[in-house]
Amino acid sequence: MEKFSIELIVVSTLLATCCTANQDTVNTAIVNSNVERKIDISTHLAKVTNVITLENTGKGAVRSFLFALEDADAKDRLSFIGAQTKVEDGEDSNLPVSETTVTTDAKGAKFWRIDIPALGEGSTTTVTVETVFTHILRPYPAQITQGEKQLMQYHGNLYYYSPYSTKTQTTSVQLSSSTIESYTKTKPVSVNDKTITYGPYESRPAFTKGEVVIHYENNTPFLTVTHLTRTIEVSHWGNIAVEETFDMYHTGAKLKGPFSRYDYQRHQDGASSIKSFKTVLPANAKDIYYRDEIGNISTSNLREQDEGMELELRPRFPLFGGWKTHYTIGYNIPAYQYLYNSGSNYALKMPFVDHVYDDQVIDYITVKIILPEGSKNIQFNPPYDVKRDADSLHFTYLDTVGRPVVTLHKTNLVENHIQDFQLDYTFGKVLLLQEPLLVVLAFWLLFTVVIIYVRLDFSITKDEASESRMRVAGLVEEVQNVHDKRSALYQSYDDAVDKYKANKDTAAFTAQRKKIDADYKALTEQFKALQAKLKQEGTDVAEKVAELQRLDTQFREQVNIAISYAEKLIAGKIPKAQYLEAETSTKSKKEDILGKMENIVTSL
Amino acid sequence: MLDVEQMTRYVSPINPATFPHLTVVLLGIGLFFMAWFFVYEATSTKYTRDLYKEILVSLVASIFMGFGILFLLLWVGIYV
Repeated sequence: MEKFSIELIVVSTLLATCCTANQDTVNTAIVNSNVERKIDISTHLAKVTNVITLENTGKGAVRSFLFALEDADAKDRLSFIGAQTKVEDGEDSNLPVSETTVTTDAKGAKFWRIDIPALGEGSTTTVTVETVFTHILRPYPAQITQGEKQLMQYHGNLYYYSPYSTKTQTTSVQLSSSTIESYTKTKPVSVNDKTITYGPYESRPAFTKGEVVIHYENNTPFLTVTHLTRTIEVSHWGNIAVEETFDMYHTGAKLKGPFSRYDYQRHQDGASSIKSFKTVLPANAKDIYYRDEIGNISTSNLREQDEGMELELRPRFPLFGGWKTHYTIGYNIPAYQYLYNSGSNYALKMPFVDHVYDDQVIDYITVKIILPEGSKNIQFNPPYDVKRDADSLHFTYLDTVGRPVVTLHKTNLVENHIQDFQLDYTFGKVLLLQEPLLVVLAFWLLFTVVIIYVRLDFSITKDEASESRMRVAGLVEEVQNVHDKRSALYQSYDDAVDKYKANKDTAAFTAQRKKIDADYKALTEQFKALQAKLKQEGTDVAEKVAELQRLDTQFREQVNIAISYAEKLIAGKIPKAQYLEAETSTKSKKEDILGKMENIVTSL
Repeated sequence: MLDVEQMTRYVSPINPATFPHLTVVLLGIGLFFMAWFFVYEATSTKYTRDLYKEILVSLVASIFMGFGILFLLLWVGIYV
């Protein structure tokens, strides 16, 4: 929980907190006793790290101090601001940063208030304020040919801009190459390979400005994502599908003149162009695709690494200054990676924006989170300030009322913005059955339509002959059915007799015989009814069925004879030899009749 | 805001590794019953038809086909 509250605080550290109505005043008791600035302009970002030693020269404890930027323009280019201080055990602790307004003489200055642990009279503390600016480097010249190097110009403040006076300060500027066309030479200044060091400068009053211009070679890819649409689709069948659509633009010096593929291959020129770049995907991403409007882009490589899947992307063409590209990346992640559950409460905790390439700049991002159909009580907790649209609906396979979509926007993001959001919602587990039942219902409807359709008769005239044929066919089927059942009963008679001979239990035999007789009678009646119906139809089948019935009567007689002999044998009225003889005779007769009946049934 | 530390990681009620097997078994049974149903509908006449039998067979067929199709969708990567 504590860890989480710190993260919450970081939330507020990030920019675009324009709506805070904070009002602060400059505390003149604070003095910057030492400031060390490091400006890293070796990439297309300007990462400024200010290590500030604050001193409380007044009375009473100080609980916050102000951080300032020169003007609104600088604020627009500011992507990220975060503050840290060392706590007692030597670890860095994040400090809450909030935007504020201050009435001062410095026109246009923008302020942030950073809360610090109480600073007593006369004591000092060190705070690190990290800021990242985007689109602050200007290509100069603005257009270059394919073979030329890319030169960049950095405009900045020579001094640490602060509402407090600064006793001593140094600034070191980290460049991408040792080729420096020109730089501001305000003494003391020294150049060492790729680093220019300004200062130390002593005793500067508050809001001191001094221009520093550095013109240097910077061939790092000036790749900017102008628009990123990140769609996260959650399925409770165990998957989170992520799809990211990119619009990319090379914001470095524009290409002048023609592009020669030959020179590009042969001389390895176009130093500032982008051939390929690496994206890190989550470790258990699978089914990864990289495509654009016309299909799959085959020039990609995927490598599995400890910290994630490294995807090397090579666009269809190298990107020169002013060139654009557009593509889509998608992948699946098992739900357990980011989705948490407790009863019917669910929480999706995953990065708002993920790694695109090192030192990424994303001008505008749209994040769409598609939740399962039937999700309710959606609560979005951003890691930093984002704009949320009204929830909409998304329709895809097996949807009825639509899936709720949470849409979010944010501008100007860098790597520091790779932080987790948390989306809470409730979902009834039973709703998961809705999708299969929908398919079941569709199939059943189809079958029902078939059941109804076969019952419809679209014929104009009634064909008596075929009707009669159908009726006869139906009756014949039933006759066969009844005959099969009756044949089974014949077997029952035999079994009963055998059993009787073995246990000599007359009572049991009589009961058994009565039962079979009843069944037999019922079937025979059914048979006769069918026979009558067939006679009505007036077909020759009726005769065959009558023959079948005759044979059945004969069979029945034989059965009765066999039974009476068996009874006599048990009663001891006839010798065994006579019984055996009689049994053989009835058996052969029965088999004979059975064969005839079988012949008739198959010929029906 | 809920605390994820107190929640468990969500796992699918049905292990995604079993989707192919479920698809084959359920669709197999479903197709058998569906075939039975259609053969019955095509061969029976209005004098031999039995509505209860039709409804029963079609119900069994649609249940197996429905779940079979769902797992087929999940297997091929359409996570509905």
